[in-house]
Amino acid sequence: MRRYVLRRLAVGVLQALGITIAVFFVIRALPADPVSRIVGMNPTEDSIRQARHALGLDMSLFQQLLTFLGFHGNGVFTGSLGTSWVSGSTVLSEIAITLPTTIQLIITSFIVALLVAIPIGMATARRPGGKLDKGVFGYGLFAGAQPEFWWGLIFIFVFYFKMGIAPAPLGMLDPMLTAPDAVTNFVLIDSLIAGDFTAFKSALGHLVLPVLTLSFLLVGPLLKMTQQSMSRVLSSEFILYQQASGLEKKSIGRSTLRSALAPIITLTGILFGFMLSGAVLVESVFSLNGLGQYAVAAVLNLDFPAVQGVILVISVISLFVYLGLDLLLAKIDPRILVK
Amino acid sequence: MTPSEALLSTRGLTVKYPYGDVQNVVIDELDLDLYPGQIVGLLGESGSGKSSLALALMGLARHPGVVSGEVNFRGKNLLKMDDEELRQIRGNSIGLITQKPRQALDPLVNVGKQISRVYRAHSHASKADAQVRAIELLRSVGINDAERRVNAFPHELSGGMAQRALISMALSVEPDLLIADEPTSGLDVTIQAQFLDRMWERARDANIAVLIVTQDLGIVANYCDRIVIMEDGKIIEDRITTEFFADPHTAYGKKLILASGAGTKSSNADVAITTTPEILRVTDLRKTFEVEGGKRLQAVSKASFQIHKGRSLGLVGESGSGKTTVGRLILRLADPDSGEVWFKGERIDSISPKEFRKYRSKIQAVFQDPFDSLNPRWPIERVIREPLDLHTEMSKAEKGARVRELVSLVGLTDDILPLRPGSLSAGQQQRVSLARALATEPEFLILDEPTSALPPAARADMILLLKSLQERLDLCFIFISHDLSTVRELCHDIAVMYLSEIVEMGTSEQVFSAPSHPYTRALLDSVLFHDPSSRRVDRTVKAELEGEIPSPVDLPAGCYLAARCPMAEQRCRDDHQALIEIGPSRSVRCWKSVEASK
Repeated sequence: MRRYVLRRLAVGVLQALGITIAVFFVIRALPADPVSRIVGMNPTEDSIRQARHALGLDMSLFQQLLTFLGFHGNGVFTGSLGTSWVSGSTVLSEIAITLPTTIQLIITSFIVALLVAIPIGMATARRPGGKLDKGVFGYGLFAGAQPEFWWGLIFIFVFYFKMGIAPAPLGMLDPMLTAPDAVTNFVLIDSLIAGDFTAFKSALGHLVLPVLTLSFLLVGPLLKMTQQSMSRVLSSEFILYQQASGLEKKSIGRSTLRSALAPIITLTGILFGFMLSGAVLVESVFSLNGLGQYAVAAVLNLDFPAVQGVILVISVISLFVYLGLDLLLAKIDPRILVK
Repeated sequence: MTPSEALLSTRGLTVKYPYGDVQNVVIDELDLDLYPGQIVGLLGESGSGKSSLALALMGLARHPGVVSGEVNFRGKNLLKMDDEELRQIRGNSIGLITQKPRQALDPLVNVGKQISRVYRAHSHASKADAQVRAIELLRSVGINDAERRVNAFPHELSGGMAQRALISMALSVEPDLLIADEPTSGLDVTIQAQFLDRMWERARDANIAVLIVTQDLGIVANYCDRIVIMEDGKIIEDRITTEFFADPHTAYGKKLILASGAGTKSSNADVAITTTPEILRVTDLRKTFEVEGGKRLQAVSKASFQIHKGRSLGLVGESGSGKTTVGRLILRLADPDSGEVWFKGERIDSISPKEFRKYRSKIQAVFQDPFDSLNPRWPIERVIREPLDLHTEMSKAEKGARVRELVSLVGLTDDILPLRPGSLSAGQQQRVSLARALATEPEFLILDEPTSALPPAARADMILLLKSLQERLDLCFIFISHDLSTVRELCHDIAVMYLSEIVEMGTSEQVFSAPSHPYTRALLDSVLFHDPSSRRVDRTVKAELEGEIPSPVDLPAGCYLAARCPMAEQRCRDDHQALIEIGPSRSVRCWKSVEASK
């Protein structure tokens, strides 16, 4: 078990490194020159040369890679992702601010989505063709056909503009409030640490619409998967046998859910990795300064260190999420050997 | 017996499956009475509703089916009971054993927990007590090492062991009615006999009512007091077993009796050892497979035999005996580790696959699963024509004529030619496979369990067809099967395999009339003849084997049968046995049998 985890981690680190190096070369192969964005209009030869030198772009590609990795001073191996060419602060510190916003958003969305999808999926699998099932089908047609930012805009229109029950879609907190001291950069947690319940309530309030939007989207595939997986287990031989053995309903329900869980967990993992950067549209609509926003800005500004940093961080997080889910699956299903 | 004495009686029992707006009726207004102490065999083709009936007797239907009508158990309608009352009857008063033991167990929970769950659902036992009870129960159904096995997960059990675990669950609460849905279909014949004997004893001792759903007339003849035949969700015949065998009323029943050949004995029996030219010779064939953990599984060990023109060899054994692998090695679907295969004086095991291609039209095969071996997207005409396209230079018209000739040869009609395999019955599919195999006029056929996946009536038809083809075409073939009565009807010579080795060889007559090896004797003894006048339960069976077949990965040092053999001595456990000739064309791998024959 421990050996398995260590091996997975070792392979994962190599994978992450491989991805980062690949990204390193690919963005440098783009037919766009980051220097021109920095020196402004009508630059002199000299200022271009200076800028190239300042960004380290006058070195050979290989030397640039070595610098990035940390063979000359600070780099990936020493825990530094370099300095953003746009803001001048370290990439790590910027990710430390944007990442928690995104994680907070998607974890809450997943919790909400799973809490909705699993019970409804179970109920509809039990009664295919029932009223709930038909409703779910309608939802699938309806929700699946529209992009998430559109739903975000509709929710803002309805709940903020028309009904006025949701806060303005501007960031994580009410603009009138001072943010609690940054400890974890998760606003919800920081406000609790600071004992600032006004800020906590405001942060929670600001999460409602973005979470509603994201989970509205996530529920679709999760619900479908729950339904399919549940109806497969429900029509399985062993559930029938448990009924025939006169086991209690609760006990049978537990067995069914446990057996149906594996594909749902796998799907959750895949969606999670996707959402890390895929939540960008929702972040935009609600002006949340998240990782997706940061990544898009980095690419548009040709901010190479930031792009490299974001991709490395996302691959490392995905690595841990997948590992965690695989261990969870092995815990649920004894047929999955963890050696 | 009158309905009032019935333990369970159904009136107007109906099971429907909704498909959109259509209702698919699988059990149609059915009335059935079951009495204490009576063992009833329920027969019917697949799709006749037997399994659905077995479940419906407990008020259950496979998701999303709906049960209606009356199921009166001790005079009270199960379908009107509340959940708790019904739950107390299921698994407590009515026990169920299903067809697929391993699928019936929750794959995520260990066996001990599953047994104790059922036990606890019907008693007030504590978790610890239930665990102790689970170990007792496993031991009582003959699982050695029960303390360790309670912690095993279903996928770690063999089919036989999973079946026993299920039995121990069904019997944990001593039911009044036991419903067994093809309880032995996944088991080997010697294990099947063990299981049925034990069930019969339990039913007699405790005066339990038993309903056995089966496709095997042998089980009915040997163990059942009464036979019920279903067709299209209805009962078409409900008789006392002996009366049924003497005079079946329905066409289907008559066909079953006729097909089972009850009473008829072998026809091929005593053709003398022939001097026709040799077609196939196999010497010292050996094959192992690598399994997880770097170990090797011994599939075939030192198999040697030859087949002469016009003769047929039956390769008999239980699952895992290596009989199928022998066929695959000859067909070059796998390469042997060592040994030789000669076809008409030419060695074919070491030639390149390209060179082997020219023998493909001479050596053909029919496999067990008829549907899997046919391309589902091709019309039958193309399926049968394919070998002609590959191996002959015939014109289009000649091929068309040959295809029609083949179709009629296997007893089918031209109108199936444009159909696709999916719209044929299993029996018809298997005939198509046979027609395809015969297309190039092969000199040698390998028939790998061609009858095993067929329902009883189709199986009987297939055997009759093979028999007539054998006479008309002078076919030369290996017939691989675990079904001894079929082999006896079709084969001149027999080789019995057990755990990768041939343990006994001889002509059909020799082996069937005087089996020599203890394994052969046990195998013959576990054949359930379709004759209620000589039931296995009325005989005293001496050659019964005990326990499970050892793993082919960790084979014992001495005789492979020693651990199960009633005659085993120390010498058997120490010395590996060699196949020794004890007469003309007759050999056996057992020193005791050799001594006895002298």
